[in-house]
Amino acid sequence: MQSPLGKMKYALAFLFVLLAANFLMAQTVREGAGVNRAPDGAGHGTHEVAPSNNAQAGPIGFTVNTGNGINYNGGPVMKGTVNAYIIWYGNWNGTGSNTAATRSAIETFLGTIGGSALELVNTTYGDNTGNVSGAVHFGGSTIVSATQNLTDARVQTQVNNAITSGRLPRDTNGVYFVLSSSNINETSGFCTRYCGWHTRATLGGSDIKYSFVGNVDRCPSGCEIQTTGPNSAAVGQGGIDGMANTMSHELEEAISDPDLNAWFDSSGQENGDKCNFNFGATSTCNANGLCTASGTSAAAKYNQTFGGHNYMLQQNWRNSGGGACAQHL
Amino acid sequence: MRVHSLLAIFIGITVSIHAQEPVKPKLNPRIVTATRLVTQFSDLELQMLKAVQKKTQPALQAMLTDDCAIEMPNADPLPGEDWIDSVMAKDYSLKSFALREFSAVDLGTAVVVKFERRESATLKGKNESGEFFVVDVWKKDGEKWKLANRFVSRTAATASKAPIKPTGKQ
Ligand SMILES: [Zn+2]
Repeated sequence: MQSPLGKMKYALAFLFVLLAANFLMAQTVREGAGVNRAPDGAGHGTHEVAPSNNAQAGPIGFTVNTGNGINYNGGPVMKGTVNAYIIWYGNWNGTGSNTAATRSAIETFLGTIGGSALELVNTTYGDNTGNVSGAVHFGGSTIVSATQNLTDARVQTQVNNAITSGRLPRDTNGVYFVLSSSNINETSGFCTRYCGWHTRATLGGSDIKYSFVGNVDRCPSGCEIQTTGPNSAAVGQGGIDGMANTMSHELEEAISDPDLNAWFDSSGQENGDKCNFNFGATSTCNANGLCTASGTSAAAKYNQTFGGHNYMLQQNWRNSGGGACAQHL
Repeated sequence: MRVHSLLAIFIGITVSIHAQEPVKPKLNPRIVTATRLVTQFSDLELQMLKAVQKKTQPALQAMLTDDCAIEMPNADPLPGEDWIDSVMAKDYSLKSFALREFSAVDLGTAVVVKFERRESATLKGKNESGEFFVVDVWKKDGEKWKLANRFVSRTAATASKAPIKPTGKQ
C-alpha cells in the first residue's frame, strides 16, 4: 500500500509527463510561427519575420556571410549531398513534351546539376554549422497517372503518398519535386501567378521539403524561356528547358532556405527570386554539338553546360563579393 | 483524492484544448517563382506609378494608348488624358505604393493583369490613401506595351497598417 506521499509523487510525475506532452504538442502546432510569409500577392511570399536571436546578432559562424544583398534569418540550410526526387503527375506518356523522353531528360538534368558551375554559386550560403555543399543526387522518381488538377493541398498529398507508400524514401535532406504534365493545372495560380514554388511540411514527423513545377508548355508566354530550347525534342517544345530552369530556381531556394527561415532579403526574395528570368551571357546552339537537332536548327540559347548537355538556366544570387546574379563563382 | 481531482480537471482541460485544434494543419506558405508576364507587367505598373509619383507627364503619356479609358464604379469612363491631368495636378501627391496579388493572362493580342494596390496619397492636403483592386488591359503598340483599359475599384478607404514600400518583387 502506498503512502499519500507516494501517491502524490506518482501524480506529480504524471502531471509532469502531461505538461511535457502538452508543451511538445504546442510546439508542433506553432512550428514555423517565427516566420510568417503571408502571400504578398504578386504571388510571392512576403516574409514577416520575428527575427531570431541569431538574426539580430548578425553573423555568428564563419559560414554565414552577410552584407551581400541577402540576409540570414537564423534557420538551417541543407548541407551535404541533397537528394532530389520526382513525382511525375498527370500524363507523362502523352504527346508534345509530356513524354518519357522529357522524363529522362529532366532526371538526367537533376542527376548532373550537382557540382555544376551554377550549383556552386549556392555554396556561398551557409548556417552556423556549415555551408551548402553544391552536391545534388537524383534519388529516384515515381509516376502518378492522373487527370485531376492539383491544388496546394493535393501537391502535399502527392508527396506524402509517395513517401508513406514507400515509392520514395523518407528523406529530410531531400527535395521532392511534383512535376505536372501540361494538361494539368495547379489551381492556386500556375501560369498566371507563378511557374513553380517550394515549401516545407512536417509529414509523418519529418521535415519534408517539396516543390511544385508545372510543364511550362501549358503557358509558353508565362513560363517558357524560348519556344525551342537546347534540349527540345521538336521545334516549339520548350517544356524540358523551361522546367529545368524553374526547377533549378526552386532547388537553389529549397537548399538555401529549406524551412523558409534562412536566406532571403528584406523584401522576402530568396536567392532564386533575385535573378528570376535573368540569364546573363548566353551562347547559341551548334557551338559544341550538345544541343538537340531541333535546338540547333532553332539557334536556341544556352548558358550552362554539364552532364553532356547545354541548358538555359537563370542565374543565382551569389552571396559574396557584394552579391550579384551569377552563372558561376 | 484531491490530487486525483486536480489531475482529472487538468486532463479535461488538456483534452479540450487539443480537441479545439484544427484537424488539418494549415499548409505552410509557398514561395513562388513569378511568371515572365508577372515580372514584366508588374515592372510596367511600377514604372507608371513612379511616373505619377515624380510627375513625369511625358513618360506617363507614352504608356497609355490614345483612347485609354479608366472605368470605375458608378461613373462614366474617365479618358486617359483626363486621368493624367488629375494625377499631374500640383495638389495631388502620391507618397508611396505597393502592389500585391499580381497575376497576368496572355490573351494573344492583349495581356490582362490584375493586382491589388495599396497607396498613400494626398489631394488638396487631405488624406487620399487607400487600397484598390485593379484590372488592366495592356495592348502592344509596335514594340511597346500600352495601357488600353483600366478597371479599378477602391476596396478600403485607408491603406492598411502594413508598411507601404515596394517589395521589389512585383
Ligand atoms: Zn523563388
